Amino acid sequence: MSTDPPITVDIKGEEVQELEREALGPDPTYADALAAVDLSPHEVSVLVDGRPVPEDQPLEATELTVLRLIKGG
Amino acid sequence: MNCNRCAEPAVMHAAYSGAHLCEAHFLESVEKRVRRRVRRDDLVPRSATPDNPQKWLIGLSGGKDSVVLTQILYETFHEDPRIELICLTIHEGIEGYRDKSLDACIELTDDLDLTHEMLSYEDEFDVRMDQVVEDDPENMAACAYCGVFRRDLLSNYAEDIDADLLLTGHNLDDEAQTALMNFLEGDVSQIAKHFDASLGPLSERRSSEAFVPRAKPLRDVPEKEVALYAHLRDLPAHITECPHSSEAYRGEIQQLLYGLEENHPGTRHSILSGYEELAGIVAERYDADGDDPDLRECTECGSTTTREICRKCSLLESIQAV
Repeated sequence: MSTDPPITVDIKGEEVQELEREALGPDPTYADALAAVDLSPHEVSVLVDGRPVPEDQPLEATELTVLRLIKGG
Repeated sequence: MNCNRCAEPAVMHAAYSGAHLCEAHFLESVEKRVRRRVRRDDLVPRSATPDNPQKWLIGLSGGKDSVVLTQILYETFHEDPRIELICLTIHEGIEGYRDKSLDACIELTDDLDLTHEMLSYEDEFDVRMDQVVEDDPENMAACAYCGVFRRDLLSNYAEDIDADLLLTGHNLDDEAQTALMNFLEGDVSQIAKHFDASLGPLSERRSSEAFVPRAKPLRDVPEKEVALYAHLRDLPAHITECPHSSEAYRGEIQQLLYGLEENHPGTRHSILSGYEELAGIVAERYDADGDDPDLRECTECGSTTTREICRKCSLLESIQAV
């Protein structure tokens, strides 16, 4: 039985997804959470409490906001 | 995780360099790369003086890239009497999209007190992209029409105002994609043209009197970092995708590069760096062979072209025939 709260990933302008922390493997990073929603760290920024976080860092927050890159000039 | 250069928390990780940077050091690092590129490409010639200033035209769409470029160039040169900055926005006639990004352009240029002009496809060519996409007489992607019209307006306006340089906000991802596409298409003459048109240092390009030279000072900065820079500085960048955006092949290359970059950090940098060196060698070879295209005036509009009728005029003919 899982005891960790789920990770909420709010992809701005698209959808909100919930991830089970256990499904991300041991010691997950923010990049692992992105991979679970099929996004590359090169096409988005991850915000926690409104501040960008390095994607290689251990996943500590439970609520992530994801800003997608918009193509064009 | 703290910044590698101070005790502040890091806001980003650049896997290609291993750096973790805080907000202040990240912003500084982007600005340094842009200024270094301006120097390496010899964009400010020795002949530029306060009495003989250079006129730089920036293609300002209101998207993150051109907004960041304009902001950094402004901060670099606004007190330099050798450089005059002018911004040009092109309105393609895309309902609800360009109107909003035009607002971003106006907000930015008002804030910075920069000269800002706007031209529209409707006024200049009597077409709107919304209608072009609906008719699609050449059975092409929207960007294929739009790119031809935009380049025509940008370069003609640059000529009209006697600009010395036309600057656009292409970032590292854009340029690495283009490099890879040219390479995969085996288009060596296009690689040489790319060097002479916008990639090479100004002092090393085969100069063509017919065109205002172009420059891309953001091309050392990954797209993600451009977006992060705009976000952290709260710049008025418009963040909606063009509703007609549909470059299928470029999208495929983009996904390929994301995967390569993930497994081999630094791939985009190495592609572009090798490509630039190769492009310089190829351009020199074409120059030595005297393999220049014959340039002439379009019989319809007078623009410089290699054909009897330029690409823009032939597209306009097709559109008007519908």
